[in-house]
Amino acid sequence: MGALSLVRRTFGVMKENGPTHVLSIGTIAISFFLFAAFLLLPLNFASFLEAWEKKVQIILYLKDGVEAKRILQLTGELQREEGIREVSYVSQRKAMESFERDLAGYGGVLKGLKEEVFPASFEIQMDERFRTPERIRALAARLGNIKEVEEVQYGGVWLERFSIFLYTLKWGLWILGGVLVVIIVSVTANTVRLTLYNKKSEIEILKLVGATDTFVKLPFYLEGGLQGFLGAAGSILLLLVLFHFFSLKVSPYVSLYFGQLRLSFLPPNMIGWILGIGVASGLLGGLLSLRKAARI
Amino acid sequence: MTGNITGPSREYGIFIKGGKGNPHEGLNEASSMIQFFQVYKTYPGNIKALANISFKIEKGEFVFVTGPSGAGKTTLLRLIIRVERPDQGEILVNKRNVSRLKNSQIPLLRREVGFVFQDFKLLNNKTVYDNIALVLRALGYNKKEIPKRVRQVLKVVGLEEWVLKQPPLKLSGGEQQRVAIARALANTPSIILADEPTGNLDPELTVEIMDLLEKVNQLGTTVVVATHNTSLVAQYTKRIIPLYRGEMVE
Repeated sequence: MGALSLVRRTFGVMKENGPTHVLSIGTIAISFFLFAAFLLLPLNFASFLEAWEKKVQIILYLKDGVEAKRILQLTGELQREEGIREVSYVSQRKAMESFERDLAGYGGVLKGLKEEVFPASFEIQMDERFRTPERIRALAARLGNIKEVEEVQYGGVWLERFSIFLYTLKWGLWILGGVLVVIIVSVTANTVRLTLYNKKSEIEILKLVGATDTFVKLPFYLEGGLQGFLGAAGSILLLLVLFHFFSLKVSPYVSLYFGQLRLSFLPPNMIGWILGIGVASGLLGGLLSLRKAARI
Repeated sequence: MTGNITGPSREYGIFIKGGKGNPHEGLNEASSMIQFFQVYKTYPGNIKALANISFKIEKGEFVFVTGPSGAGKTTLLRLIIRVERPDQGEILVNKRNVSRLKNSQIPLLRREVGFVFQDFKLLNNKTVYDNIALVLRALGYNKKEIPKRVRQVLKVVGLEEWVLKQPPLKLSGGEQQRVAIARALANTPSIILADEPTGNLDPELTVEIMDLLEKVNQLGTTVVVATHNTSLVAQYTKRIIPLYRGEMVE
């Protein structure tokens, strides 16, 4: 059987059962769309997390009355500490000035505040490899033991929770992926089964005149594979359209709150995987429905 | 025309020989097209379909398989093309041992046999041309050869070219059965099996179809017609394999 004739037969089979095929391709596309959209979340959250990790710093608020000599000594000790890239000392005066700058519009409210109200502090930037939630937490705990330190603050708690959320999301994706494959296999299997039912007489004739199993079954396998492919491709197309819409219309507003947001679409290899899963699930659906059918 | 009813034991005693000696003696004779040797078939629920069936059909012969409903006529035809498998016994079709055929060899067996059904089994969503061409495409005929071959078989069954573009349901019952016979003949099979081919036709069309099958037989094809219609059988001087409740009778 020539490839062209096979393609013609496959499309012929699909055309005769057009509305059912449109419906199943639509169902597959929606299922894949949900999966692909969920894939986008950890992908973009991960870069979001990375950007935030860069901004994370540890602030050591000092007790009142730490002498200048000790401050200098502490600065040196902190700079020698493993994982610390930069240490800057913020005196009480500097802290007050910074506060005044940040709340310049509310000048009247700040009147009468004295610099003693603001604690002196060390602002600590970490090396890149130390910017994981676990390492930040460990370092913060160690620095908190310094006698002159009153309180330690860092964004690690938030980062840690966010990182757990990402981890859960990734596992959720695997489960969602599994459910999705079951949905696609069952949708395709049912559509192919319906086509088989419609073509029962033709299959019977073909088998009785001596057509080989391959000749009879191949178009139905391809039908399943093609359905899976079209469904997956449709979902990616839909996601791409919505992604561009989101990037253009919604992203600027989100950036107002979360800083510059650089959204990225699914990378080509991931798109390839989605299409591959679509084809494989479709073929499996065809295979399952043909296993029992067409036994003449 | 008068019936020539022949008892199986008289005609095929060669197979039996009191069950002694080589049980396959008599099988695979050069001129035989179909041979059944002590064939048994039972369906689930212990429903006996055929028991101890032995007969031989020669190359180019025209044979009736007769008997009332439930006699086992259809089962017998289905065994020939390996839609069913015998529980016991051997079946040879054109020197192939059907009972021991591998699944991959079944298509090759079926290519030597054309099947005609009582209800025609034409695809009503296709034209007459496509109904016949479908078989040729499935068997790998050359694209250019197919239209030529379709017209040839159409001529053999006595239909005119205008029917080619028609869907089967626009034709009369007799014409539909002619299309079905054309489809069965498309691959030039050595054997035509017809299961109650005139069951849905009036007496006039019945004669037409039987004459056509006789014509096909005269062209050298072995023809086996299963029918319960004894008056039809009586009109033709052909050998008969009579069945009753799954057994061959006198």
